[in-house]
Amino acid sequence: MFASNWKWLRGFAAGVVFTLVAPLGLVPAGTQALAGEAPELAKLVEEGKLPPLAERLPKHPFVVDMAAENKEIGKYGGSLKLLMGSVKDLGQITVYTYARLVGYGPDIEIKPDILESYDSVDDKEFTFHIREGHKWNDGQPFTAEDFRYFWEDMVKDPELGREGVPQEMLVDGEEPKFEVIDPLTVRYSWSKPNPAFLIALAAPAPLYIYRPAHYMKQFHAKYADKAKLDEMVAAAKADSWTALHTRMQRQRRPENPDLPSLQAWYNSTPSPSERYVWARNPYFHRVDTDGNQLPYINEIVMDIVSDEVIAAKTGGGESDLQARYIRFDNFTFLKEAEEKHGFHTYLWSTGKGSQVALFPNLNAQDTVWRGLMRDVRFRRALSLAIDRDEINEVIYFGLASPSANTVMPESPLFKEEYKDAWSVRDLDKANQLLDEAGLGARDSDGVRLLPTGQRAEITVESSGESTEETDVLELIADHWSQVGIKMFVRASQRDIFRRRAYNGETLMSVFSGMDNAIANSEMSPQEMAPTSQPQLQWPKWGEYHDSKGKSGEPVDMPEAQAQLDRYNAWLLAGTKAEKRAIWQEMLHTYTDQVFTIGTVNNSRQPVVVSSKLRNVPEEAIYTWDPTAFFGVYRPDTFWFAE
Amino acid sequence: MLGYIIKRALYMVPTLVLTSILIFTLIELPPGDYFESYITELLASGETVDPQKIEFLRQEYGFDLPAYERYFKWAFGLLQGDLGYSFEYQLPVSDVIGDRLWLTIIVTFFTIIFTWAIAFPIGIYSATRQYSWGDYGLTFLGLLGLATPNFLLALVMMYFAKEWFGTSIGGLYDSEYIGQPMSWGKFLSVLEHLWIPVIVIGTSGTAGMIRRVRANLLDELRKPYVTTARAKGMPEFRALMKYPFRMSLNFFIADIGGILPQVISGAEIVAIVLSLQTTGPLLITALQSQDMYLAGSFLMLLAFLTVIGTLISDIALAFLDPRIRLAGGVSR
Repeated sequence: MFASNWKWLRGFAAGVVFTLVAPLGLVPAGTQALAGEAPELAKLVEEGKLPPLAERLPKHPFVVDMAAENKEIGKYGGSLKLLMGSVKDLGQITVYTYARLVGYGPDIEIKPDILESYDSVDDKEFTFHIREGHKWNDGQPFTAEDFRYFWEDMVKDPELGREGVPQEMLVDGEEPKFEVIDPLTVRYSWSKPNPAFLIALAAPAPLYIYRPAHYMKQFHAKYADKAKLDEMVAAAKADSWTALHTRMQRQRRPENPDLPSLQAWYNSTPSPSERYVWARNPYFHRVDTDGNQLPYINEIVMDIVSDEVIAAKTGGGESDLQARYIRFDNFTFLKEAEEKHGFHTYLWSTGKGSQVALFPNLNAQDTVWRGLMRDVRFRRALSLAIDRDEINEVIYFGLASPSANTVMPESPLFKEEYKDAWSVRDLDKANQLLDEAGLGARDSDGVRLLPTGQRAEITVESSGESTEETDVLELIADHWSQVGIKMFVRASQRDIFRRRAYNGETLMSVFSGMDNAIANSEMSPQEMAPTSQPQLQWPKWGEYHDSKGKSGEPVDMPEAQAQLDRYNAWLLAGTKAEKRAIWQEMLHTYTDQVFTIGTVNNSRQPVVVSSKLRNVPEEAIYTWDPTAFFGVYRPDTFWFAE
Repeated sequence: MLGYIIKRALYMVPTLVLTSILIFTLIELPPGDYFESYITELLASGETVDPQKIEFLRQEYGFDLPAYERYFKWAFGLLQGDLGYSFEYQLPVSDVIGDRLWLTIIVTFFTIIFTWAIAFPIGIYSATRQYSWGDYGLTFLGLLGLATPNFLLALVMMYFAKEWFGTSIGGLYDSEYIGQPMSWGKFLSVLEHLWIPVIVIGTSGTAGMIRRVRANLLDELRKPYVTTARAKGMPEFRALMKYPFRMSLNFFIADIGGILPQVISGAEIVAIVLSLQTTGPLLITALQSQDMYLAGSFLMLLAFLTVIGTLISDIALAFLDPRIRLAGGVSR
């Protein structure tokens, strides 16, 4: 039954590719609200190849509040062209289209999305209610069985389970208790609170706790006929059934066109290819305020080209919606090409705590330097010496805002004092602090001397990927030389850059600042505490936390330990007010201690939008977490005007 | 002759074994592996990674085995025609390379024809009219082609092709033909895009070729037999083509060995800038992300073709130039 269903779906997808907008012109605008579905789907329903809309939608679909999101009711049709730089970018579609069990909307609040509702008791017990009549894109029902399959047949399976329980589902090593209450209700519970659980489900790269059981069972040794499974394993040149299962079920990078999906568009192109076509999911669970099923746009066409030509191609009008691989310095070129090739270039704000931030390595191997890096006076002085206004004017055309590496005004947790903490230029104060830190002596060039008599020369290491970083560093080098600190830049390569920082060979690194600068108190403050190795200011402490004490070094600095304690307290905090208080304390300490040195934030990301494409906000935030780039702005509500 | 060929063919075996060890070691040498560079890439875009999951993937792909075991697994796979698995593409390597191979061959084929078509006439002209204005002028043009950075030329030409002819930027055909079978429309689209890479890659090769034709031909032209031919009243063109030109082609036949691998690898950097769907960019990104079986197997393919190419050119030289003697006193 499933196979035959699938066949026409594939055929339908191919049909859509070639029919596009043409028939749309015939449909008078007024009938749209009544139709409620794409003309292409209505035709299939008429031909009896697809069940009517009422049977395809869940009983209670997700209604996008178009008025609240400042959107107009759209028309169906069109194909959205995107450019990507490598096959790995296939995963971006699951970020852009962003349908999650629970997810953020443009207001950055977690709400049920795929789920009809959820109940949470003290963050310890989560009960999920699935929408009645919700179906996968192949028409099979989406039920508790899909959750059970993931938990019992994948995580707890002796062979597949070698991957282990996902980290976000562990609280102090404790696994959740999983229960199927009824076919539409499942429950996860822990003895301690797990506030990270919902955040993980709503993340741009989310925790997927369900799988299409009806499809996956054919690859699972427990359910499949052994001979048939062996045959499939051999045909796919996989090493074992587990390898095949892993390959077929990939959610993040859905290159398997047969894998059932709950997203607005599903992949219809087998790999390898340079062009992937994502066809409309006729069972998608969202509707607009008038009851029209989303998405409006028929298909997404994603061309994979060399990332070097993406800006040029976009400027030539070859993409309808492009921000990835477009840099701020492409802006003037794009602006110039706008009229000729019919697009707008919006400047969205980037949601990072600091566009370019410096990370003094508190775990540096060199004992003299480590001592200095851990001296708060030294860190504060370096921060005070930076002329952020100059950086803003020279590199960002004055469009960014000078700030410490902290949350932006858009965050409900924002306070002026965080932004201005040691980030307003004051050379006298900086000099005074450096003198106090034991760097009073200078040589004939005016460069300060370390207590050992060496010149105070800091090498800042970069991952060598962005000229923007190098440009900013050049300015900072000049600012620091005014207080007698000499700076060199060493551009290396991503892997080596990380490795050296982790080992403590690096004194200071440059990278982007806080990943989520529009956070609210419900989101995890882990970035401000030594919790993971990639944190360049304290990689060894982070590794210690990551590995639960197996490797790395325990925190031996009271201020950092205090942050870690606060983070642990946040995990156990019961109320919103408590969480908020902890966030404020952590933000205060983080900026006051200058664990990282911020420059400017709220810089701009050019977003190229075809002038025919509607419902794309002119001003928004382009960031990975939490807005999932375009995800929370709901590309399923974007539509093409003639 | 037959004995010579057999002997040479046998030499190929240890050469290839050695090459495979070298390739494997070189790819292994940089610290880290594919999964590590995968993690850093995720971090660069702000994602977090579950270290446990990466460990699982490492085991799943056999990366917990010692290097020599992995080498043997790979090498035996190669012997059976199994090129391994590409992590980046999540596909068998043969599937990844397959489609791109014939496009690369087309680009290189036209580039070589273009290079010859320009280089030979100019080379002959420069040799016969040494130190003339024409010689200097054409040589200058050739060297200009060599000196201009390819990627710059590529960018400039792409821009103007878009502005003047509306050719879409990058690629070897318009994007609507991706994944379509060959058709007249697709063929025309390929022709529309092909001339840019052909000219860009070609211009860098012509200068060298011109100089070599010129130098070799000059050597020949000074020899007494040419003077004799002229003295006997042989027409100038015939006196040039009959022997001196043919003799000057020695280097050209020796070059065939180099052409074979070039045909399937293409010009890597230019291909990236032009976003060509050829194998060059594939190899570079594979090396960058340490996608080792893709990189390794492809390099092995190149090594194999180099060895075969060298053999072919040696045999061809032996046939074409009677002055070349086969060593070791085997059959003449």
